[in-house]
Parts: sequence; C-alpha cells; structure tokens
Amino acid sequence: MSMTRAELQDAARRAFGEGGLAADAGKSWSLIAEMGWLMMAVPEDQGGLGLGSEATGVIHTELGRALVPGPAIAQMLVIEALSAADGLAERDDLLARAIGGEVMTASLAGAGATGLLRCVPDADRASHVIVVEPTRVMLTPLANLPITPRETWDKTRRLFDIRLHETPNGLVLAEGDAATALAERLEAQLLFALAGDSLGGADAILALTIDYLKLRHQFSRPLALFQALKHRVANMKTWLSASEALFWSRASDTAAALPELGALKAHATSVYRIIAEDTVQLHGGIGLTMEHHCHLFLKRAMLNCALGGDNDHWEEQAGRQALTASA
Amino acid sequence: MTDALETLRHEVRAWLEANAPKGWREACTSHDAFLATQRDWFARLAEAGYAVPHWPAEWPGGGRSLAEQKIIYEELARADTPRLLLSFMSTYHAASTLFEWGSPEQQQRYIPRILDGEIWCQGFSEPNAGSDLANVRTRAERRGDVYVVNGQKLWSTMGQFADKCLLLVRTSSDGAKQAGLTYLLLDLKAKGVTARPIHQIHGDEEFAELFLDDVEVPVADRLGAEGQGWAVAQSTLSSERGLTLLELSARMRGALWRIADLIRATGRDGDTGILRDFGRLGTNVDATCALADHFLAIRIAGEERAGDASLVKLSYSRTLRDFTALGVRLGGMDAQYHQPLLFGGGMETGNWMADFMNSYAWTIAGGSDEVQRNIIAERLLGMPREPKSWTLEGAA
Repeated sequence: MSMTRAELQDAARRAFGEGGLAADAGKSWSLIAEMGWLMMAVPEDQGGLGLGSEATGVIHTELGRALVPGPAIAQMLVIEALSAADGLAERDDLLARAIGGEVMTASLAGAGATGLLRCVPDADRASHVIVVEPTRVMLTPLANLPITPRETWDKTRRLFDIRLHETPNGLVLAEGDAATALAERLEAQLLFALAGDSLGGADAILALTIDYLKLRHQFSRPLALFQALKHRVANMKTWLSASEALFWSRASDTAAALPELGALKAHATSVYRIIAEDTVQLHGGIGLTMEHHCHLFLKRAMLNCALGGDNDHWEEQAGRQALTASA
Repeated sequence: MTDALETLRHEVRAWLEANAPKGWREACTSHDAFLATQRDWFARLAEAGYAVPHWPAEWPGGGRSLAEQKIIYEELARADTPRLLLSFMSTYHAASTLFEWGSPEQQQRYIPRILDGEIWCQGFSEPNAGSDLANVRTRAERRGDVYVVNGQKLWSTMGQFADKCLLLVRTSSDGAKQAGLTYLLLDLKAKGVTARPIHQIHGDEEFAELFLDDVEVPVADRLGAEGQGWAVAQSTLSSERGLTLLELSARMRGALWRIADLIRATGRDGDTGILRDFGRLGTNVDATCALADHFLAIRIAGEERAGDASLVKLSYSRTLRDFTALGVRLGGMDAQYHQPLLFGGGMETGNWMADFMNSYAWTIAGGSDEVQRNIIAERLLGMPREPKSWTLEGAA
C-alpha cells in the first residue's frame, strides 16, 4: 500500500469515524469540500491535487464505508468533465466553484437516456447538471428545468428526475470525438466510484456483523462459535478480499476498458449485495428493524446494483469483450 | 518495477523462447511420457538456474528475492511450460524442511540430490488423520540405531514415483497428541515399503498410499528431536510461499481462451446467458489473480496476516470449480464421452469432465475449503476457536 493511500484512508476514517455513520448530509458535504476530496483528481495546474484513481478510490470506499449521504459521485463527474474542457472560457471559475462545494450534479443511471435525466442526486440544490448527448457534453444550468424528486428506499441518497428541454442549451464541454471519449470516461468513473462505494460499505457491515456475532450469545455460547456461521462469514471475507484486490488493480490500470470497469462494478456491487443480504439474516430479529444499521447497508447495496447500468448488462458486455479479445 | 527486475524478466523470457518445450501436453498420454517430460524440463531449468530460485543463496540456483521468484513464475506461466509437479514436493517441502531442521550432514547428503532429480513425497495423512493431522497413528519404535515403523500413509502426492518420503510418525501416545510425533526421512526403496497408486475420480493417479511393514529408518535420518515432529511438520506445511497460487491463477487466466473457443465452436456466441457467465467467470479469474498478486505484495512487505493465504486458496479453488463447470456445461454431451487423460497437463486441459473432477484437488487437498474457512474465521477475523479435543481418536 502506498503512503498516499494509507494516509488518505486514515484521514477519511478520522473524519467519518464511528459516529459518522449515515452522517448529517449538510455537515458531511462541507467536510468533503474542506478536506479537498473533490479536487483530488484535478490536475495541479487547474488548482487540484493531481492524484490518480488510487486516491479517488480511497475517497469512494471511505464514503461508502460511512454511508455518507450527498452527491459526491455526481459532483466528481462534473469536475472531471470541467477539467477536460480546455477551450471553455468559464472553465476555471466553474471548476473553482465546484471544487469549493457548489453542488453541480449528473445522472448516475448510466448511459442511454435522452430527454429525461434519471437518478440525479441533489438536483434541488444544484446549480448545474451534466447533459451527455451523442456528439456533445454540456453543462446546463438547472434554474428553469422541471425536476421531480424520486424517493428511494435508500435514504442516504436523494435522487431526482430532470426533464430536459427539446433542445437543451448550456456550456459545451466537449464535441464530436472528444465528447464521445469524455462520455466514456465519465461512465468509467461512475462505475469505478460505485464499485468503491460498495466495497467500503461491504467491509463496514461485515465488520459490524462479526462484532455482533462475537457479542451475542445463544445456547450459552457466542454466535461466533457456531461453525455454520463462521463459514458464511469466511466466504464473505473471501469474496470481499478478491473484489478489493480487483478494485485496486483496476485503479492502477489506466488502460482498463469500459466493459472491464462495468464488470468490476457488477462484481463489487454483487459482493456488497450478498454480504448486506446475509448480514441482515445473521443479525436475526434486530436485523429487520430500523434500530440497527443493517438495513441502511442493504438498501444502499441494492441501489448501487441498479445504478450505472445493471449487473446483467455489464457481465454480458464483459463476456462479449473477452470473446472478441480471444478471437 | 525496478530495472533489475525488468532485466530478469527479459532474460527469463528470452531463455524460455529458446528452451520452453512445445507440444508437451498432447504428448503426455502415458505416465512414462509424463515422467520423461517432467524430468527433462526440471533438468533444463536446474541447469539454467531457474528451478530453485527460492533456495538460500549458498545453493546453486538459489538466492532470488520473492519479487524475482514472482517474475520467474509469471514467465513460466506465460510460456505455458509444464508445471513442475514431480519435483514440487522435493524443491519446496523437503528442501525447506531440511534448510530449517536438517543438520549440516543431512543437508549435504540430501539437498544436492534434489537438484539431480531425486524425488520426495510427503507421508503425513492417514486414514484417520486428514484435516486432524495430529491424529497420526503410524508407530515408530526405537531399537538401537534404527526406528522400526509400522502403519499406513495416504494421499502421498507422486508417492508411487518418489525415491524418498517426509514421514510423520508417532513415537509416544502420552500427553497431547501433537507431543508424541517424530519426523523421519524415509527411503522408499527400504525393505517393507509398499506404494500403491490411488485412482482418483477422473482416473489419474497423482497420489499413492504407502504401507509400512517393519520398515527400518536409521536414527540419523530423524529431523529434529524425538517428539518434535509436529513443529517440524509445520515448517513443511508452510514451505510454499504463495507462488503456486500466483502461478496457477495466471495459468487459469491464460486458459480462458479454451472457454472462448468452446463458446464459438458451439455457436453460443449470441447467447446472452452464456456471455454473462463467461463475463462473470473472467472477472472472478481477474479478481483471483489480483488477490494472489496482492498477497505476494503484502508478504514481500512483511504485512501478511495469519489467514491471508487461505483467502487466496479459497478464491482460487472456487473459481477453478466454476471455470471447469462452465466447460462441462458448454461441452454438452461431448464432455460426457470419455477422453484419455493428458497427464500433468494442468488444471484446464479442455478435457472438461476430467478437469472438473480434478478441480476437487484444490477444494480438498492442501487443507480443504472447510479448513480454510475455519482459519479465516478464527485467525483472520478473530472468531472464537472450537474447544479442542486432545485425545487420540480411533486408537485401538
């Protein structure tokens, strides 16, 4: 582990330590901006820290670990797009505002939507939204666009639908081939972020569950002594470790293709879902109440599976790509 | 990656381009052909200095760092060379145990012969001592300068082809069952030794059982003190340094083309269900490779925790099962018709039912999946251990 990764993890865990679980949305958002996490991947000559995917990977896993609410993933997509918009006069000003915490958002639904932007976090307090068209990527002011709140089971995210005008206008960030390339990069970043968020969450709920199994006694012995339960937990730890290893190996692989990141997202969100699903069961009665944290992880896990394009889609794409590659 | 490591990679790659055997897999249709391939390839690697990179520097071919060993194994996997199955137990288990416990005389006598091709097997498991290894019941009775050994050993990998055996025996039944064990170096040519190959479910004979009937082992061939066998056995069992799973994972990734070819050959390349399964398998293979790589990195950095190795083994064994099961499924009836085995052809030969059945070697041998789960839960995750039973089971 590089010092950067360890140091960042440490800083994040201190910021969102034990008490920070499902933290207050307003407080955590200003903390994220203050800590400089939004400028992590921005090149230094644009006022950022110039750190790569390893660093953003840490941020996403730590946000997932503490179930931090807010639009960080979407905001980082906007920042990536702005950072790439070299020809835009307003770029430096907008970038500085976005890094400073002015909410600018983007759809987390994955590719494919036109007319209706779905799964847009915190659209009600955002100034702009990214609009991806086949040959253009734009940053559109939200002021006059109709937004519809879509309440999700997962209360750690606040998602909205945005109905776009027939000919949406805004600042053009990229056009033509550059727009296609940028759109693909944003999609890759979204998939990577969802994977990181999932692995952080999975690790947190697994650790909480192991603690619970050690504490809770039935039949005069701790639940953690039952081999049937130990083996389930050991399987979870194995899947999680493999998924984490894949995540960090993709983080340092700049040549990873989109289907590979899709497959990573499918892998990590599936591991999160399986772990969150079984940890509710392992908690027994308390697990199916709102008095314990279990349900928060389960709901975020299920949402992460659905965001960014569903896992069946990505597994198929990965299979297709591997088949082509081996021809 | 440092320049020195890159240079080593180029060296090994260039050497392999000139020296890696070709067409060996198809040629290994008999045990004789397998043995010849294995002996020849080991001798060439030993001569080039790549057979025992993990040995200490004072021995020829040794003194390579773990990072260098990793490169050699990656290149061997990349060139799809025969895995060193016949000499594996000799260069790892026997050698590491001798380095740690052997007297200078014992080391001088046995270590050079390993490089000359002497084959060792392991005589630990017994009918009533599998996962519960301390339950060993093969008796060794001291009579003057020799131990007289009686008993039965099971699952000795390559035991029918071996010259020597790492033997765990019981010299006392008093006290804790671990405390009555002693470690001997057995000559399999000695009077009273019978080796019988065991037919595995796919028909190969990678294991043997050994029957020991009044076999005499010189006291000079004892490793460690009498009663110290359990500790000596632990160094045998931990001799392998994580490179095998790294190599096997890399080979599994290198064999994904077999599934891809099968998908095309069976016209399933438009079948979304199959494409999904293939995509998921490829991702699991990548994840296992990444985990094996990560494991070696933390081992090199000295950050390994108890139980980390079990995560890699469990991840590999389950992924290998999925891999071979997908081959069987895609193979349909063709996979059900018996095909002759390719001996030592690796875990993914394209003889799918044979490969599938052979994958149990990794879910059962070397500490079963269940044992790995116990280790992960108890040692890595700190869950409480089962209360121990210290009595010898099945004793007459």
